[in-house]
Amino acid sequence: MIYPLIGLLLGILVGIYMPINVPVIYAPYMSIAVLAALDSVFGGIRAIEENSFNMNIFITGFFSNALLAGFLAYFGDRLGIPIYLAAIFAFGVRIFQNLAIIRREIIERLLKK
Amino acid sequence: MKNTFQAHFLIAAVCFILGMMLVAQFRSVQINGGAITSLQRAQELTSELKNVIDEREMLKKEITELRGRLTEYENSASKVSGLTDAMKKELEKARMTAGLLEGTGPGVVITLDDSNVPRQPGEDPNLFLIHDEDLLKVVNELFAAGAEAVSINGQRIIANSEIRCVGPTIIVNSVRLAPPFIVQAIGDPDTLESSLKMRGGIIESLQVFGIQVSIKKQDNIEMPAYNGPVQFNYFKPVKAGEKQ
Repeated sequence: MIYPLIGLLLGILVGIYMPINVPVIYAPYMSIAVLAALDSVFGGIRAIEENSFNMNIFITGFFSNALLAGFLAYFGDRLGIPIYLAAIFAFGVRIFQNLAIIRREIIERLLKK
Repeated sequence: MKNTFQAHFLIAAVCFILGMMLVAQFRSVQINGGAITSLQRAQELTSELKNVIDEREMLKKEITELRGRLTEYENSASKVSGLTDAMKKELEKARMTAGLLEGTGPGVVITLDDSNVPRQPGEDPNLFLIHDEDLLKVVNELFAAGAEAVSINGQRIIANSEIRCVGPTIIVNSVRLAPPFIVQAIGDPDTLESSLKMRGGIIESLQVFGIQVSIKKQDNIEMPAYNGPVQFNYFKPVKAGEKQ
C-alpha cells in the first residue's frame, strides 16, 4: 500500500524541480489526463485487493482511457460541445465505485484478522 | 508474490506520472490565473474606473469654474477702457467660432436609432446599426447646409472633434455615446431639413435598412458649449508680417 504514495511523492518532487509548463490551451486535456491516471490508480489498487491484477489489462487500460478522453476533449473542442464532460463523469463515477470496493475489501481483511 | 510486487510497482509508476501532471497543472493554473483571480482583477479595474470617472468630473467642474473666473476678469477689464472692450468683442466672436460658447437659436433636432426591423437569418447585422460614418455624413450634410452649430448627444462638434466607432459605441470629443443619437443643429430650419430629406440623400439611404430617423424643426434649441480641454502642443501660430 505504501508504494503508490511513494510514487506520488516522488512525482510531485520531480514535478516541482523540473520546469514543466502546460499552455492554457491544453489545460482541459491535462485535467482529463490527471483524471485518467487517478482512475487507473484506483482501478489497480482494487484489482490488487481482489487478487485479480493483470499487468496487461492495467497498462492498456491506462493508455486507452487517457487516449479516448483526450480524443473526446479534442473532438468536443472542434464541435463546440463539451463532450469531455462524459469522460470526466465516467472517470469520476468509477473512482468512487473503486474506492468503495477497496474500502470494503480492506475492512473485511482487517475484521478477519 | 512477484505478481503483487509488479502490480505495486506499476501503480507507483502511474502515481509518479500523476504527481508530475498535478504539479504541472497546478503551476499553469497559478501562472495563468484561475477564474477567481480574473474576477478580482475585474473588481480592481472597476474601482479604478470609478476613481478615474470621479476625477474627470472634478476636473470638469474645475474647468467651468476657471472659465467663469476668466469671464469675470474680461468683464472687469472691459470696463476700464474702450480698447479692451473692443478686444473683448473680438474674443467673443472667436469663442463663438471655436464652439466654446453656449447658445440658442432655431434649427432642427434629428433623432437616430438602431433599426427595429426583424432581421432575417444570414443578413449582416452591421447594416441595421448606426455607424460612425452615418453620423459623420449627417453632420457633414448639416454643415454643408449652413448649420452654425451642431451637437451630438450634448457633445458640441468643434473644429477638431472626432466621430469614431469604438466597439458598440461611438466616441465624440473623447466621450462614448450610445444610441439613440440626438443631433442638434442651429441654422435655417427649412434648409437643414430639406438638405437631409433630399431624394437619394442621407436619410433615405439610412431608412432602407430600417434605421429610425426623425427630424423636428424647433424655434429654440439650446446648444451646449464644448466642455473639454483645449490644448495646442504642436501648433504654433505665425504672426502677421512674419511670413515671407
